[in-house]
Amino acid sequence: MIVFKLFTLILAVLGSPLFIVIAAIALISFYSVDIDISVVIIEMSRLSDTPLLLALPLFIFAGTILSESDTPKRLLKLSNVLLGWLPGGLAVVSLVVCAVFTAFTGASGVTIFALGGLLLPALLKDNYSEKFSLGLITSSGSLGLLFPPSLPLILYGVIAGVRIDHLFLAGILPGMFMLSLLVGYSMYKSPKRVGKKEKISGREMLLGVKAAAWEIPLPFIVLGGIYGGFLVAGEAAAITALYVLIVEVFIYRDIKLQRLPRIVVKSMMLFGGILVILAASMAATNFLVDQEVPMRLFEFIRQYISSKYTFLLLLNIFLLIVGSMLDIFSALVLVVPLIVPIARGYEVNLIHLGIIFLTNLQIGYCTPPVGLNLFLASYRFEKPVVQLYGATMPFLGLLMITLVIITYFPLLSLFLVRLLG
Amino acid sequence: MKPLLVAKKILSLEKLLIDSLLCLMLVAMIVLACLQIGLRTFSSGGILWADPILRYLVLWCGMLGAVVATRERKHIGIDVLGYLAPVHIKVWINLVIDIFSSLVVAILTWAAIIFVQNERLFGGPSVLNVPSWIWNLIFPMAFGLITIHFLLAIPGDIKALLAKSEVNKTESGT
Repeated sequence: MIVFKLFTLILAVLGSPLFIVIAAIALISFYSVDIDISVVIIEMSRLSDTPLLLALPLFIFAGTILSESDTPKRLLKLSNVLLGWLPGGLAVVSLVVCAVFTAFTGASGVTIFALGGLLLPALLKDNYSEKFSLGLITSSGSLGLLFPPSLPLILYGVIAGVRIDHLFLAGILPGMFMLSLLVGYSMYKSPKRVGKKEKISGREMLLGVKAAAWEIPLPFIVLGGIYGGFLVAGEAAAITALYVLIVEVFIYRDIKLQRLPRIVVKSMMLFGGILVILAASMAATNFLVDQEVPMRLFEFIRQYISSKYTFLLLLNIFLLIVGSMLDIFSALVLVVPLIVPIARGYEVNLIHLGIIFLTNLQIGYCTPPVGLNLFLASYRFEKPVVQLYGATMPFLGLLMITLVIITYFPLLSLFLVRLLG
Repeated sequence: MKPLLVAKKILSLEKLLIDSLLCLMLVAMIVLACLQIGLRTFSSGGILWADPILRYLVLWCGMLGAVVATRERKHIGIDVLGYLAPVHIKVWINLVIDIFSSLVVAILTWAAIIFVQNERLFGGPSVLNVPSWIWNLIFPMAFGLITIHFLLAIPGDIKALLAKSEVNKTESGT
């Protein structure tokens, strides 16, 4: 049996679909202790008891529509007229736009592809160095994961069984903190202006706002709906999907009706890819929990680590490695069920744990050697990956500082939850 | 040539069927969820069966989405070494992975059939008078289709392998 499992793991590293790998391990495990393998499907079918799951396909659909429309352009224009006057204006605009866009579309690489292509030439034209600009865009590709309604936050909530509205609240301050640190750095690094700065007239500002008038309410619909107590996450997702559909297809007409089926199929394909991994891991982790693996792991670790803070430090290192190897959804699905019982043992708040998870995985996206953002940016901008390693370093450093603060000051994550939750 | 043509016809029919089903179900999800909100807000009522149906719709969409992901070869994987491996090894890796995947999903399909049979005997609560085993039919159906798509990829892998060795032969010959 161990030989089979080893073979499966080797295939995992060679690029076998992850859901196959996890399902195979679950099948082998249950078979080896003489439990009928239909248990694997019973576990999978429990997914239909999770009302929260509805939020995933609907937010994915809304995000796909947004990324296929001209929203990135309008969003860019809007932020430019609102924030462009700041020192380091364009860099600040890039950071804010990427964060908002990623929150809605997930860090699926869309940010780098859709926005990066617009932002990089603009930054270079504004005399930002190539190194700085590449680093900024690469690390912004996953910025905003802590802001609602980010899909990984929802997925963490589904797996760890904590309230999504609390998670959404918890992400806001750490996300703001991270953003402002990067904004500060960008202002500091912004090139000296040559000549006089063009002023943005009130008319231009009005035009920018008008162009994006239908998209500005989106964050308010999501947040207002959930925190106003009108909607649960799944319903907020349904309203968002309907709203985005109407706005992009019928009002802006960015997306022709004939293109819609292709977008539906594409977004359901993305969702399906995540769902089967989730389903397979329901079975695999159930086996592990059944065999009390997390508890034994906890007992083992406790022999060496007694302090909660040392545990969190090790967790960070572990998650950074995981984050640079796995994509965020599979990382969550695989690791959260194992870590949650251990973290409970160390009395770590599960909401706080969620924010730590996402911060780590977000940073993992731009961590060499195999962080996904590095490859996406290398592909998109036709630069060698090694050049991007260097370019992202300063940003990575700043993100690490936020990680330390987020990890060791739980209040940053929990303040709003205690205040409003 | 004839059976190949028929197979191609069936496949494009399957694509059409799944794609249209996905569109229909997604629209149904959005409409049903929004309708629930509307009914609750304006008449403080709601449809009793809406929530369980929504949960099954999510499951169906996801499983059929996974079939599409297999068809388009867009499953999430790690693929660290896969990138680094030279091309002539990569064709071998692909072949092994596709055979292995077909095998695993075939076993899942089998497990799903047992599961549905048990559901039929001892079934859970029905929704809209449709017993739970029918809702759960999506598992054997989707896994069955995924198996077929993985199996269909194997001839392509072998072809790539043969083409590769053909190239090698001519290269070593000259």
